[in-house]
Formats: sequence, C-alpha cells, structure tokens
Amino acid sequence: MKRVAIETDYSLAQNMDLLKESIKEGKPLDALQNQKTHIVKVQSIQPRDTLYKYAFSDTMAMHPYFKRLEPHRKMVITQRINGEYYRFNMIDIFLETDDVSGGVVNVMTRLFFGLGLILLVCSFLISSWLFQPFQKTLQKIKTFNLKNDEEVSFEVTTTKEFKQLNGFIIQMTDKARRDYISLKEFSENAAHEMQTPIAVAQGKLELLLETPNLQEEQLPLIQSAQIALSKLSRMGQSLSLLTKIENNEFTARETTDFSKLVNQSVLTFKDIAELKNLTLESNIEENITLPINAAIADILVSNLLKNAIRYNLPDGWIKINLDKKQLIVENPGHPPKVPTNQLFERFRKSNQSGQSLGLGLAIVKKICDVNHLKVDYVFEADIHRLIVKFPV
Amino acid sequence: MKLLVIEDEKALADNIKSYLSTNEVICEVAESYQEAIAKLNVYSYDVILLDIMLPDGNGLDVLHFLKKEQSEAGILIISAKNSLDDRVQGLELGADDYLTKPFHLSELNARLKAIYRRRKFQGFTEIKFNEISVDTNNHEVSIEGKQMELTVKEYELLLFFISNKNRVLTKQTIAEHLWGDNVDFLDSFDFVYQHIKNLRKKITAAGGHDYIKTIYGLGYKFHNN
Repeated sequence: MKRVAIETDYSLAQNMDLLKESIKEGKPLDALQNQKTHIVKVQSIQPRDTLYKYAFSDTMAMHPYFKRLEPHRKMVITQRINGEYYRFNMIDIFLETDDVSGGVVNVMTRLFFGLGLILLVCSFLISSWLFQPFQKTLQKIKTFNLKNDEEVSFEVTTTKEFKQLNGFIIQMTDKARRDYISLKEFSENAAHEMQTPIAVAQGKLELLLETPNLQEEQLPLIQSAQIALSKLSRMGQSLSLLTKIENNEFTARETTDFSKLVNQSVLTFKDIAELKNLTLESNIEENITLPINAAIADILVSNLLKNAIRYNLPDGWIKINLDKKQLIVENPGHPPKVPTNQLFERFRKSNQSGQSLGLGLAIVKKICDVNHLKVDYVFEADIHRLIVKFPV
Repeated sequence: MKLLVIEDEKALADNIKSYLSTNEVICEVAESYQEAIAKLNVYSYDVILLDIMLPDGNGLDVLHFLKKEQSEAGILIISAKNSLDDRVQGLELGADDYLTKPFHLSELNARLKAIYRRRKFQGFTEIKFNEISVDTNNHEVSIEGKQMELTVKEYELLLFFISNKNRVLTKQTIAEHLWGDNVDFLDSFDFVYQHIKNLRKKITAAGGHDYIKTIYGLGYKFHNN
C-alpha cells in the first residue's frame, strides 16, 4: 500500500512540474484545470500554504467513470511561478491493488492451466513415442512362455537404458528357458533311464526264483521286492506321462469319439471289476465327440475306472454315466481322509499306506486342465462321484 | 531256436541269456550296434531281441539293415521308452512285437516263442505238452484228441504256462500277461486264482493231468512230474 502511495505521489509531483512549465509559458489556467487538478492564483501566502514542500494526504473522491467514491491521493503545494504564487490542489486515484492482484491471479491461473494442459498432452505424446521400445519390451515379457521353444528377441533401440533392460531380459529368459529344458530333459531321462536298472533287478529276482532248493520263507521276500520294483517302475512312467502332458505332447489334432472310447474302457474293466466282485453299470449316450487326443482320453477314462475299482467297498458297484454335458463315474466307498479337492494333488492319497501311487487323479486333473475340461470330486452319502464336465 | 540279444546293458543281457538258455534255445549277446551288424553278417538267427537305444547307433538302424538283407528272423524290440512313435515305427520297419522295460523274463520268453512259432511255421503249429496239444492257429486245445472248450483268458493262460513250463510264475506276472497294464494298479492279484481253478478243473475233467502246482503265497508252476 505504501509503495502504491509513493508511486502515486511521484506521478502527482511530475504532473505538477509539467503544469508549472505550462504556466511559465503563459498558458491560461483554465486550460490546465480538470476534475483532478485545481490551480488557484493566490495573492499572498497563507500560513497553511506549504511553499515548495509537498503536502500529501489520503482522501475519498468521486470516480468519474465508476460514479462512486474511491480512495484517492491528494497533493497540495504552493509554487512561485514568474513572481506569482499558485496553489496546486491535485488528486489522483490509487492504483487498485485488489484489481491488480485479481487481474494477475486471473491471468496467471489461465496461463498455468493452459501450460499445464499443453505440458500434459506433450508429455503424453512424447513419452508414448519415447517409451515405444519399453512398451514393446513389456509386450514381449507378457507374451513370453517358457514352453514355447523360441528365443526372445527385441527391436534395436538407441536408448542406453532400454538396451540394458532388453539385454538383461534376454539373459534372464535364456537362463529360464535353459533351466526349463534341462529340467524337462532330466525328468524325461530319469524316467527312461530308471527302467533299465529296474528291468535288471526284476530279472535277477526271476532268476532267483528259478534257483533250486529255495526255502519257502524266502519266497515272500522275493515277491515283496518284485512288487516294490514294479511300483517304482510305474511311478517313473506316471511322472514321465505327467511331464509329457504338461509339455503338450498330446495335442488334439482330431476329435475323438468319446462314447466309443468309454464303451471300450468299460468292456476292458468289466472283466477286472467282476474279478473283484464289483458290478459295473453304464449308461452311455452315443456319438459324443470331444476335441481330445485319443490316447490321452483313454488314459483319462482308464484312470477314473481304476480309481473306482480300487477304492470300492467289497461287493460294491460302479456307475458310469456319459451324456453331452459330462462324464460321471460313481462308486460307494469309505469317506476320504483328506478334502476331496486335495486328492488331485500329486502323491496325495486317502490312505497313505496303500499300494497306490497317488498319481492317478493328478494325471486326470492334468489331462482335464490341458484339454479345457473341468473335473470335480464330490463325496456325499458314502458315494464317491467324479465328474468331468465338457466345454459347452 | 537261435536267438541274438542286442542289448548294451550287460546285466540285463546276462539275465536274458541265463533265463532263456535251455536245450531248445541258443542265446548270443551283442552289446553294440557294430557287434550286432558283425554277427548278423556272419550268422543267421531265428529271433532277434533288439534294444532301441544303443550306445553307437539307433536300434532302428538294425531294423533297416535286416530289411535290406531280407532277413527272415523274427524281431522283438525292447525299449525303455514307452512311446507310441517308437512302437509304430518299429512295427512298420518289420518288427514283430514291442516290449517296454521293465518286463518279466517269463513274458519275454512267451513273446519270443510266439514270434518263433509264427516265423518258423507260419502259424501252423501244434504245441504239445504230454497229452495236451494246443493249435495256435485256430486257438484250440485238445487232450488226447478230444477238443476242450476254454475261454480266451483260459486259453492264453494255458499257452503262457506251456511257454514257461517248469518256471515259477508269480500271480503278478500272470495277471499282467492276461490283462496287461490294466491291472497294475491293483493291490492284490489273488483273483488270478479263479482262472487257474477253472483251467485246472477243465483239464482234469477232460482227462488230463493237473500240471499246475501252487507255490504258496507266490504263484504257480506248470511242470511235468
């Protein structure tokens, strides 16, 4: 405020100097006067006249345009010009600080938002252009699949950081792929290589059985060893089967007549079920086809039937129902000791001490997952029910 | 029967040789592709047992060689890989049968004999065991000329017994021979007893001797007292 007053005072004094010059040149006083300036020729100096000394004060005066009282600055001074005294009475409007700050804020805000918007748009455009290599890299990572046997490759970029990033990702994915392949090879080889030593051991036991003068108490020992060996061999085969399914080695190139396949399986296992005194009932709708590899579909159905035979009650039954929506295999049995959905996990069995490997249902689940089928295990009212739902 | 075993795993080759070598079977072993080709160039064999995976070459190459030489030997492939592709390829190249490791020696024996019969006598064979004779061409069994009615499983069981006469056969071996991989999941193979009992009954009813000896807790032996 004070600063504004000084400025106004200065401009009043300047005006006064100009007027003084005009009077010196002999211009008539009337031509110099206006609403803001009054010049009076005084005959003699009054005590209130401040000669040469400016007297400033604040006052309110009518604004000519706004038609209202506005704060003004007033200056009164008496000057001697050409030997005569003139009293100058001048007012000037204060520079309005409110208006000034209002105007400044208004302009600045618009500028700020305008610039901000331009900045946003530009930065978006520039970053989308600048980060193009980064976006491409992200996309590659997103679509990267260990099981696809292809190397990750990137477009050449000139940005140092992106070069580093791409280099790092290539290194990392290559390592992951190599590890995956070697793990895959290991599990495949382990399963195969295991079979020859098992064959040797099994053969030795058979030769041992042929040796004369074998004691009767030695026989069960040999047989136990044989059973353990065959279990080991089956475990290797099942694990290698799981790996093969995971590796998508059984891709469905054809649709399989599922009805025919289930019928054949039922025929195969009817014999075995009867040996265990189980009755097998089947209700199979004809001409149901699924886009699934025939060999793998056979394993799926066999495993379900084997399960139903193995975990049955004495003189129990098995029901097989196939329609357009689903395949259901049910049999009576003891309640499972673990939650039914956990039975799909590897080596998870209801009865840990049994001869079962605990891989049958894991294989079923894996086959269903790979072929977009949904499998459920329900136990209610002492009945085990396995449901394979087909895609609609 | 002259048999060549092409198998690089010495212990396994030894097993096969000691199990199969009898008065009727002369068994030789080749441990590599080179050795096998060298032997096949000089001698002729009735049946060849071939391991697909050899250290110095693929066993399938042996099949190519035999085909080129127009060999008349029967071929049984053994492989640790239970892969359908190998099986199909092997059978297409002229192999007679395919067996996956591990296998029972008695099963191997039965399969080799079946191949030998098919090759040597073009299937027109009659296997005789004392008063029992089996016509493998028509799947017929007769005792002292009198024909017997047997189920498919009983017929296969009898043939398995005769092929492995005087050998101990465990219940598991018999079950796997009759039902293949479909029974490997069962805890007990006692159900084999039912088929043995029926077969025994039918043979004795037709006037034959009971050659099936039970080995308690283990299995059975078909032998000529």
